[in-house]
Amino acid sequence: MSRLQARDVVRSYGPTPALRGVSLDVADGEIVAVTGPSGCGKSTLLHCLAGILRPDEGAVRWNGERIDTWPEAARSRLRRTEFGVLFQFGQLVPELTAAENVALPLLLAGTGRREAGRAAGEWLDRFGVGHLADVRPGAMSGGQQQRCATARALVTGPRVIFADEPTGALDTLSGEEVLTQLVQLAREQGTTIVLVTHEPRIAAYADREVMLRDGVVDPTGLGLDETLVPLPAAGPGTDPR
Amino acid sequence: MRPGVALRLALAGNRTDTVRVVLTALSAALASLAGLAALTVLAIPTPPGGRGSNNSEQYTNALLREPGLRGGTAVALLLLAVPVLALAGQCVRLGAPARDRRLAGFRLAGATPGQVTGLVAVEAGLASLLGTLAGLGTYLVGRVLLHRPDARGLLPLPTDVLPSPPVIAAVVLGLPVLAGLVGVVLLRRVTATPLGVVRRTRRERAPRPWAGLLILAGPTAFGLLAPINRWYADRAQDPPALLEPALMAGGALAALVGVVVGTGWLSYTAGRLLHRWGRGAAVLLAARRLTADPWAGSRTLAALLAAVIVGAGAAGLRASMIADMAANRATGQGLAGGEDFYLNTMDLVDRAAQLAVALAAGGLVVALVEGIVARRRTYAALVASGVPRSVIGRSVGWQALAPAVPAIVLALASGLLLIWGVAGRPRTYGAHSFQVCTGDAVRCADPSVLRTVWVPEVVVTPELPWAQLAWVGAGALVAVLVTVGVGLLFLRMSTAVEELRTG
Repeated sequence: MSRLQARDVVRSYGPTPALRGVSLDVADGEIVAVTGPSGCGKSTLLHCLAGILRPDEGAVRWNGERIDTWPEAARSRLRRTEFGVLFQFGQLVPELTAAENVALPLLLAGTGRREAGRAAGEWLDRFGVGHLADVRPGAMSGGQQQRCATARALVTGPRVIFADEPTGALDTLSGEEVLTQLVQLAREQGTTIVLVTHEPRIAAYADREVMLRDGVVDPTGLGLDETLVPLPAAGPGTDPR
Repeated sequence: MRPGVALRLALAGNRTDTVRVVLTALSAALASLAGLAALTVLAIPTPPGGRGSNNSEQYTNALLREPGLRGGTAVALLLLAVPVLALAGQCVRLGAPARDRRLAGFRLAGATPGQVTGLVAVEAGLASLLGTLAGLGTYLVGRVLLHRPDARGLLPLPTDVLPSPPVIAAVVLGLPVLAGLVGVVLLRRVTATPLGVVRRTRRERAPRPWAGLLILAGPTAFGLLAPINRWYADRAQDPPALLEPALMAGGALAALVGVVVGTGWLSYTAGRLLHRWGRGAAVLLAARRLTADPWAGSRTLAALLAAVIVGAGAAGLRASMIADMAANRATGQGLAGGEDFYLNTMDLVDRAAQLAVALAAGGLVVALVEGIVARRRTYAALVASGVPRSVIGRSVGWQALAPAVPAIVLALASGLLLIWGVAGRPRTYGAHSFQVCTGDAVRCADPSVLRTVWVPEVVVTPELPWAQLAWVGAGALVAVLVTVGVGLLFLRMSTAVEELRTG
């Protein structure tokens, strides 16, 4: 059974529906890209899966347990210990150095400062930004900041990384470097990644792509309206995508 | 740009902008009321006659009646405007991120940098003008409503006089001009580009403890009063009229600036100590924030510290007066007669300091909320990645309290020292004799009926007003705590996941 499941998830912002009954299974160690046009509900699905948002209807399960019914504190603990979250920008604390930013989740988990600092340094080294350990985010490039943020998301050894357009604010080269490192480290550690992106180039890093359209999973996987474009008959060995 | 367009664009904005305009107008209204009240006191005409016979007898309160006390009363009223103006200064920063986006939008639409700066000045000036006009209206209505002579025809307030129209116009129009200029000055390191607002930051060195010299200069200036007066007395001369007020005003200003600037050093040092010795994520976040921007503490606490200095000075003055009253009862020397008058006056000063603390707390709330709102995306990202809101809340608390506690202690000590150098020294009374007539009035000319009474020497040392100082300090601390509590109410909405989408 999949560790992470969404079943018939519905979520609205006021009168505007964002998700209209999305179901998704993510297997251990799988890298899933959630794609689709702007406003299709990609980020909302990611936030529901990560326990950041509660769905209005439906269920989100982790290890078979419904986490959408958990109180905020329990969901926070889950995100702190078993999940890692990456955003497009604005996630590093500007006053903390790179090492302190990466060490923050460990400090929250009760790790001593020295030990947390050492672990942070090692993760920064892995992402090639160890020399920036004592530098604040304001003095780093966007790519360097995102590497620090990725190191922070991975420092606690999470089972799942939720990444919401993690390369959206980076140039092509930096974006690819960050993502290559993230995927490589995730593969080494068997970490699951749920990646939201609207770029096919980034989605290509994933094992599987799930396309959303108007708040539902697009069964064509092409972002096309199936009532307008007839699907080709799926023969043996053919992939409808 | 046509004035109408400038007006329309200056007033365009979201709900936060409206709140900023309303708070700026309210601050201007309160400041203009304080200014008009002070000018009204100064407008009371002094009847001809020598000292003691030139009182304005139409008032019940000696603070208004006696010409010698009216200057101090006016200054006290004007001092009330200081925390109000500090509140206005904090209001200017409210909603800065949204305003920055709006200014960038104006540039994108073709406005020049000068036009953008002009719009900011118009917004601040216009909001202040609305406030001063409301303040003038309140003042004019208030003086009619409060004009209540008692049975003897005496007035509790100077509702029978009005400052001259040019003076009133200077207050009503001067404050908005000042607000507009302050708005422009605050934008001096800000460039609104079509793609966003760029703040040119200086690489600032860590604060140094030089402000301590300024703090010491305050009591030193006060301490010079006695030797200078003695020096002139020895030469049978009067000191220059402006020397004493200049020394007192200069000393008080030096102490105030010293405490406010010193708070920057205290913030920085508190941040370093917390970083070195503190444990946990909340302390780390607070420590780094304090060392990254140590002057934030100075800016936000300035008005509160000014009120604490006044409160501590008043406590010292009251202790000195009480000692002198006791000496008068024992020896006939010291502070004579009308004990109630002096104590009631000190009560009024205490009320003014309390009001100033309350107003300063308003400014603190605005600054704290603005700080949280400005950092909402970072906070929202932290919460989304599992950082409990309580950790962020505790870090906000540490940020506020770590510099506030030592700064309040420093302000208490500075305020007390200002007064204590002059009024805290032991005084010797008595050690003199006087003659009492033991017979009736007719026979008093006869030396045989006169008796000499010896008054023994009494040394009076004012007691340090620990209790009152503790109350002043506790009041300021409670104001900071309440501020943190109110600020944390905004933390939940500022850490909502929707903030991650804010551009």
